[in-house]
Amino acid sequence: MLKKYRVTVNGQSYDVGVEEIGAGSAPVAPVAAAAPVAAPKAAAPVAASAPMAPSAASAGSIKAPMPGTILGVKVSNGQAVKRGDVLLVLEAMKMENEICAPADGTVSQIRVQTGTTVNTGDPMIDLA
Amino acid sequence: MEEKLKELAVRREKITAGGGPKRVAAQHEKGKLTARERIQAFLDAGSFVEVDAFVEHRAVDLGMDKTEAPGEGVVIGYGTVNGRTVWVFAQDFTVVGGSLGEMHAAKICKAMDMAMKAGCPCIGINDSGGARIQEGVDALSGYGDIFYRNTLASGVIPQISVIMGPCAGGAVYSPALTDFTVMVDKTSNMFITGPQVIKAVTREDVSAEDLGGALVHSEVSGCAHLMFNNEQETLEGIRTLLSYLPQNNIEDAPAYPCSDPTNRSIPTLAGIIPDTPNKPYDIRDVIHQVFDSGSFFEVQALYAQNIVIGFARLGGRSVGIIANQPRIMAGVLDINASDKASRFIRFCDAFNIPLITLTDTAGYLPGVGQEHSGVIRHGAKLLYAYSEATVPKLTLIVRKAYGGAYIAMCSKHLGADQVFAWPSAEIAVMGPDGAANIIFKKDIDEASDPVAKRQEKINEYKQKFANPYKAATRGYVDDVIDPADTRMRLFGALSMLLGKRESRPAKKHANMPV
Repeated sequence: MLKKYRVTVNGQSYDVGVEEIGAGSAPVAPVAAAAPVAAPKAAAPVAASAPMAPSAASAGSIKAPMPGTILGVKVSNGQAVKRGDVLLVLEAMKMENEICAPADGTVSQIRVQTGTTVNTGDPMIDLA
Repeated sequence: MEEKLKELAVRREKITAGGGPKRVAAQHEKGKLTARERIQAFLDAGSFVEVDAFVEHRAVDLGMDKTEAPGEGVVIGYGTVNGRTVWVFAQDFTVVGGSLGEMHAAKICKAMDMAMKAGCPCIGINDSGGARIQEGVDALSGYGDIFYRNTLASGVIPQISVIMGPCAGGAVYSPALTDFTVMVDKTSNMFITGPQVIKAVTREDVSAEDLGGALVHSEVSGCAHLMFNNEQETLEGIRTLLSYLPQNNIEDAPAYPCSDPTNRSIPTLAGIIPDTPNKPYDIRDVIHQVFDSGSFFEVQALYAQNIVIGFARLGGRSVGIIANQPRIMAGVLDINASDKASRFIRFCDAFNIPLITLTDTAGYLPGVGQEHSGVIRHGAKLLYAYSEATVPKLTLIVRKAYGGAYIAMCSKHLGADQVFAWPSAEIAVMGPDGAANIIFKKDIDEASDPVAKRQEKINEYKQKFANPYKAATRGYVDDVIDPADTRMRLFGALSMLLGKRESRPAKKHANMPV
């Protein structure tokens, strides 16, 4: 009943078992196809926890809200900042956007400098 | 008779005492008022009339036959706020944890039914441990009955949910179905599944506050519309909110005497807009100056800050304001901003509150994240909500109005009744830089000095298109106005439109891109 085939995809060959399913016959587990099915499952918990990151309520990494270029960094390492203080200016959508501190804290790391291009979600400044 | 009166007094006293002095003290220790104290603080003094105080549960299983629950853990009744009738219900955490059973739910449903009959707002104060497990499916039935009524009442009477303690599991869907959810910082929580369940299922470690506290729902999830520091301020805030709203969908919002002259000229307005179009400013500076002094009441101030929404008064009449915020993310429209604004627009339309839109946006936010999260269907909500609205719609184009975002921000094409533009307005398909690159690509490429040529073409495009006059020649902008005249012009247009009647094709209901 079970027939074996060799399938080549993008130069990679796979051994595949094919069975004609009649009434009552049990399905045979695919030999190679199992791997791609499992992959997205493993990724799920990571994606689920991602939305927690931007929780602006707590200090942490200040991430770029949209893609753009850093026009100026307004704070220095170790500087204490208050919620609402301007940390840096990000040029995006043809606008000089002021990026403000979401909470009180101390600048622990500056990851960008004037001229750095950032993408949405890139960490720019760490607050402790 | 004297005997019987004495019995009545004794019975009532027992119910009014709620869960007893010990539990009341515990409630106070947490910085929380009791259900009755909250109602007293919320309503006009002496106006509260309690209903259904004598209701009792009829559960007998799992020890419930021996459990006494004075008032069934919820206080309902009616009273007035600034002289206007409202119905209220307040869950009493001191009585079996404010847990919801069959008769507890029946009391809440009675408050909602009566508010519908009387045509007045219904305010629910939530402080409950959740379903009364001993009552099984009767408790679930109670939740279902409440959700059903929330839905039927939606768009008929204003519904406000106040979260003043835990609100977990199915209970959160009643606030979600109402018009406004108000939370108290540090003492209120909302979540579908609590920290323990989350820990068991996804292994994420999170506190109740970080999961579903007032700040998180105000800033991150957008589930809360207003947040206050303590219970007193919260109840005050709801009284203020109600002052902008009509009693029901066939009345107009109350008009108040206005001491701020409607013909007030505002010479400082023009100075708010920076000379270079790539500099941000705070749109709220414009709002505060244009509308009646001190009348702006912002809603969802911490969520999707790239758009500002809220109520204000113009010449004493309530209006709903939707304004791009150039100070945050260039005032772009994205998924969250569209979602926030469209729900507000629909609320205002349902309750006859005119809409005033201030436009200054760089456009819809580009990005894989936005596209993959469905900015197409979420962005469509904004177009839908504006097109559907039949209340007076006024639009003021302050600065940038490009492409799809120009259309979406209540343009003439979506039915704006009057569109004004400041001379600083730029209305075009796209910004000068991008447009010049596309239209004049050949000229720029072939020029001996492409950089200079590009700048020349950008300037040419700016001159020709980055202004309000092209749109005005077509009548898409009704008038280009001096910023100083904004207040009087908006007031004039609003007055002209007070009698506006616009009908839509008869249908069961439309299919909004939710």
